Amino acid sequence: MIHIENLHKTYRVDGREITALQDIDLHIGKGEVFGIIGRSGAGKSTLIRTLNLLERPSAGRIVIDGEDITRFDREALFQLRQRTGMIFQHFNLLNAKTVAGNIDWPLKTTGRFGAAERAARVAEMLELVGLAEHGSKYPAQLSGGQKQRVGIARALANHPNLLLCDEATSALDPETTQAILRLLLDINRRLGLTIVLITHEMEVIRTICDRVAVIDAGRIVESGPVSEVFLHPKHAVTRSMVAQSDALTAALLDPAGLGAKVRGLPVRLTYLGDVTYQPILSHVAAISPARITILQGTVSTIKDQPYGQLLVEIDGTAEEVEAVFRAFDAFKIHHEVLQ
Amino acid sequence: MDLSLIDWGDIWQATWETLAMTGFSLLFTVLIGLPLGILLFVTSKNQLLEQRGLYVVLSFVVNVLRSVPFLILLIVMIPVTVLLIGTSLGVEGAIPPLVVGTAPFFARLVENVLREIDRGVIEACQAMGIRTHRIIFGALLPEALPGLIAATTVTAITLMSYAAMSGVIGGGGLGDLAIRFGYQRFQTEVMVITVAVLVVLVQLLQYSGDRLVLYFTRK
Repeated sequence: MIHIENLHKTYRVDGREITALQDIDLHIGKGEVFGIIGRSGAGKSTLIRTLNLLERPSAGRIVIDGEDITRFDREALFQLRQRTGMIFQHFNLLNAKTVAGNIDWPLKTTGRFGAAERAARVAEMLELVGLAEHGSKYPAQLSGGQKQRVGIARALANHPNLLLCDEATSALDPETTQAILRLLLDINRRLGLTIVLITHEMEVIRTICDRVAVIDAGRIVESGPVSEVFLHPKHAVTRSMVAQSDALTAALLDPAGLGAKVRGLPVRLTYLGDVTYQPILSHVAAISPARITILQGTVSTIKDQPYGQLLVEIDGTAEEVEAVFRAFDAFKIHHEVLQ
Repeated sequence: MDLSLIDWGDIWQATWETLAMTGFSLLFTVLIGLPLGILLFVTSKNQLLEQRGLYVVLSFVVNVLRSVPFLILLIVMIPVTVLLIGTSLGVEGAIPPLVVGTAPFFARLVENVLREIDRGVIEACQAMGIRTHRIIFGALLPEALPGLIAATTVTAITLMSYAAMSGVIGGGGLGDLAIRFGYQRFQTEVMVITVAVLVVLVQLLQYSGDRLVLYFTRK
């Protein structure tokens, strides 16, 4: 659906050229939830803004549904933006309009719909985001989560086929974040809407994205399916964003710290899918006399897919350890010796 | 102080004249200053219709008009006023200099009020594919309404004190009364009463302005 090819963006600030994006190549499929993650200042905000040309790229092509949008004239750009929804970190609602007025605003301004049609659509959108009771309130009377729901309803009112989320949950507390993410995922599934989101939180990516690109200093440094990038990060920036387990790895390899206590072989186990809920360790223990100690572990889900990641210490002879690894291989458990 | 010396009919008459001068010049000030302020805002840097050249010219003209002391403007404007409405005296004669004196001031206030609107709101409208004129009239102005009312209140009060000043060149109203009776005929009572009436009028204006701002504030 979206092909970004060789995209560059440079700014002039006080006569100096500043590169915000370089050599960006991305493909985003129809109906996909695609995440772009990076630290602040990495260029992710600039990147998502090029998808509706709030930012004009300096070079490169952005092809959406077969059309290069960077060549669009004014009129075509208005049309493109009308079928592209966008939600924001700070919601950006109109304070002078009611909730219903905010949702109606993009419909009214296209001039394409009659009053009755618009009222029906507004009611439908309020229902969709769970704010049916709040249509006549003003944004100032709503909580942050409710405001973002209004933002989502407003963005979807015009039947978009693409939704851009600019740090949409960064101003919300963790519980509200989860509720908003569930709503977005639900919308993605029910309407087949393509969603592109940017965030600095790995948690957001893990909860709803199918694929992810990691951006650093204006370049995409790593991209792929979320499970792949999340469980086997390759680039240093990705590793530090996934962090947690890496902090422990460092401690483990520190001979003065935790490293001193570990006598066996430190190993990281990673597994994905149904195997997560199977009694692997007891099975392995039955095969090999090697002693396995769990040092740290996570069992959770990536989108709806269960996964586990364990840091274990395996103590035994070379043959015993080898037998353990063979058992892991049989269960398709990825194992990596940390040295 | 002997209040029996005061001709209350004169005071009434002068109060109405002051109100008429303030009212009519406020009307024209808003009619000219509001579009000018909007234009200043939208043509400024990084705004919807950025036009550096136009902004610099408009901004310069506004600054020049604002730097002329009002008393000088009153005198300089006399021939222009005569040309426009046939006389430079009375209530009508005071309106053109009042409007020229305050419209640039009001335009600046409007520009500042619009600048206070969250940039993100404008960006959201652009992202929805809303045309620029709809963004200005359908989103920006309604969002700015409380601020615009506050700016209008400030301007109305400035106009009222300027209107009193126009008494110097025969402008009519409370200022005229104060100068002719209170100053030139040494009737301190008239001076005191005219000032008292002005104080009451200003209080009323500010109070109603504040109430309106409150009524339209949705934050």
